Amino acid sequence: MIDEQDRAIARRLTVSYIVWSTIILAASGLLGVVMRLSQAVPQLRVGDNFWYAMMTAHGLGAFVGWAGFAVMGLAWWVLAGVGFPVRGFGLVMARLTWWLMVLGVLGVIITTIFMGFGASWVFLYPLPFYGSGNWGAWATGLFSFSVLLAGLAIVTWCFGILHTVMNREALQSVSGSIGKRLGLAFGWGFLMPRTFAAKKSVPYPVIPLTVIGLDMIIATLPLAGLLIWQIFESMGVVGSANDLLAKNILWWFGHPVVYLLLFPAVAVYYWLIPRYAGRDLVAGHVIAVAWTVAVIANVFVWAHHLYLDYPSGTAQAQINTAMQPITFALVLPSALSLYSLGFTIYRSRFRWTPASTALFFGLVGWLLAGLSGIVNATIALDVAIHNTLWIVGHFHHMAMLNIGLLIFGAVYALLPELSGKALYSERMAWIHVWITFVVGMIFFGIWLVQGLDGAPRRWSVLPSNYDTLTRISLPFAFILAAAQALFFWNVMQTLRGKGGIATFDERGIPEPSKVRKESSVHSIEAAVMIVALALALIFAVGGYLVGRDVASNKDDTPTTTAVETGGGGEGTVTGDAAAGAEVFASSSCSNCHTLEAAGATGTVGPSFDEKKPSEALVIDRVTNGLNAMPAYPQLDEQQIADVAAYVNESTK
Amino acid sequence: MLRVSHTAVIITVAYSIAVILGSAISFAIFRSTSRPLEEDRSGVWSRRETTWLVIMIVTLFALLMGTIFYVPYGETAGPRGQVVRVVGVQYAWAIDAPQPIVTGRPVAFLARSRDVAHGVGVYNPSGPLIFQAQVVADHEQKIVHTFSEPGTYTVHCLEFCGAGHHLMSTTFEVKAA
Repeated sequence: MIDEQDRAIARRLTVSYIVWSTIILAASGLLGVVMRLSQAVPQLRVGDNFWYAMMTAHGLGAFVGWAGFAVMGLAWWVLAGVGFPVRGFGLVMARLTWWLMVLGVLGVIITTIFMGFGASWVFLYPLPFYGSGNWGAWATGLFSFSVLLAGLAIVTWCFGILHTVMNREALQSVSGSIGKRLGLAFGWGFLMPRTFAAKKSVPYPVIPLTVIGLDMIIATLPLAGLLIWQIFESMGVVGSANDLLAKNILWWFGHPVVYLLLFPAVAVYYWLIPRYAGRDLVAGHVIAVAWTVAVIANVFVWAHHLYLDYPSGTAQAQINTAMQPITFALVLPSALSLYSLGFTIYRSRFRWTPASTALFFGLVGWLLAGLSGIVNATIALDVAIHNTLWIVGHFHHMAMLNIGLLIFGAVYALLPELSGKALYSERMAWIHVWITFVVGMIFFGIWLVQGLDGAPRRWSVLPSNYDTLTRISLPFAFILAAAQALFFWNVMQTLRGKGGIATFDERGIPEPSKVRKESSVHSIEAAVMIVALALALIFAVGGYLVGRDVASNKDDTPTTTAVETGGGGEGTVTGDAAAGAEVFASSSCSNCHTLEAAGATGTVGPSFDEKKPSEALVIDRVTNGLNAMPAYPQLDEQQIADVAAYVNESTK
Repeated sequence: MLRVSHTAVIITVAYSIAVILGSAISFAIFRSTSRPLEEDRSGVWSRRETTWLVIMIVTLFALLMGTIFYVPYGETAGPRGQVVRVVGVQYAWAIDAPQPIVTGRPVAFLARSRDVAHGVGVYNPSGPLIFQAQVVADHEQKIVHTFSEPGTYTVHCLEFCGAGHHLMSTTFEVKAA
């Protein structure tokens, strides 16, 4: 049976995952605010590639490094709570997971923010190898390696979970066979009690953890293969992979990883909601059917992310069509879980605290995000919203207002029993939970509206007709961020013991801190201070970015003047044709233009061999762009002069 | 004039109704805890979960049947079709229509990418997104659409393709037949 030592081990594991995931939330949340700020205020615009590098870090950081990592950590404490100790091999895996995840996320931050890798968190192959000079092979290789570490963290976590849930003693399994124990952990004892015999039925929270433990191994291994391929390709060891296959492999992982957030979160709901309601989870045996559907359906829905890929001569259209019913089948575990959790709360003696309110809001967020997910799952409707900001609204509702609120609720509910210390301020927690839910609904809801209006996703600068709503949403982003500062402060003060010793009521629910605050002004003061600090930090970052942009604009001015007045390309710098050849090759000029000397055969834009453009014309077009030809702000004055000299030399 | 397409209107109405219903149910559950039940009815609710499962299956099946026939796959422009070639590169579109595109006759857009994955998103002259599809390198993507009104249509890239993704836009003309 589980003893005090087992509980101490699980406690340390959960706290170490939670602390680090919270730090990652702070970092990636701040990036998110800067991104929206950059879209809303032209004067505060950051460089385009930097924006996309932030987007890459924000996506991986918030999704995997915060939400995923946090629920993975909560799982250990939930399992200990229902009598499943983490021991032996499982414990080794659990500890290894922490190291792999922390190192992986650090690597992602370094390669994006400091090395400029900006191919987005889905790094759609072969984009990592088409950096247009913004990042090189080193960044691609290191980024792939970092994501591989995070992917391996998921796999080791899965092994740890499976090892833990198959504990024969904890399951009270009659049989010792691996298959029967696994079946019990899947909840099949409810359906076939004779085949899967146990002295007591399996605790409900174990089921979703077992499902995701098996599925994420199946989902992650092909991605690991793709990442290893990318690492070798960045070293020049192997050639190109197949684009469409790589896209399928990415989503083979990319969909189940969403449920790496949801399913452990469901385990936490199954465990905590009954505690606050004061009654057992209302669940029929049929819930085991839904989870069995989930095991299979979860790894066979990837192509709903490729609904709009149906190139001629491939089977992609048929695969996609098959995905709609399978995706609909995945609605069932959510629908049944919400039914069970809803009826567990319905007319119960529910104790409303900040923790339970966050959990309840999390369920509401789950319902609303699930409903927008059904829209995405329907091919005929997806055409209107695919890759628009609607999708961004949908998954922020899911990640922040379902998983995020669950994490906040679980931290408020469990921190006292994990640390032995009472929550520092219940009032601060109330403010945090309400603001996160209400302001989050508005802020993310604006994305849904913009998406329905066709606003494209992943654009550092949106077309101007979407500006009004973008600006309206900005204050909500600030308020949302400031509310999270309350959470960080509250957790920090709690861990410092400022709330005194934890006490619990008869249901195990933590009671408010008994430490008398000198006056209620105290917590308000803290709140004001945190908000001010958060705003100062945001404006400081904003100010730095403005300064940087103004500085770089100054550098650009002489080029334009020189071209305008000189007229003959004899600007302040002289071009070097040899260096220009490299610029030509690395800036994907050959995609659109023909230049025999460079082996370029593009037919989109004018052929240099025919037009023989002057140096001044090349400098002007590369600097300012014209129609389909984009400007290349990533090239400096010297590089542009070089490429102009090269084109001129080669066509003489 | 409405700025969104018909599909967007359908989504807006359906999702709004779903959100209102969902919020009402959530609020009812919240309110119900102020008058807790004395007797334990968990057994009845647990058994009714099977009924709920059946309701969900029927609802989802109806939604599936109501929508699956509207997939954009396998469409052809037919003998009167107009063919337009679209090529995407980082960060520009080339649209090659041999004759002027006219309204009322199906247009087959044959799209290709020269480098990374792109997305062809076509917006009608008054603003809304009317159709889109993804393009990966080395595969030809066929998209069929019949224009009903003449004017200048905008193409935006709808798959992230690098630092100049948001610059990847162009326009084309559709003339009255």
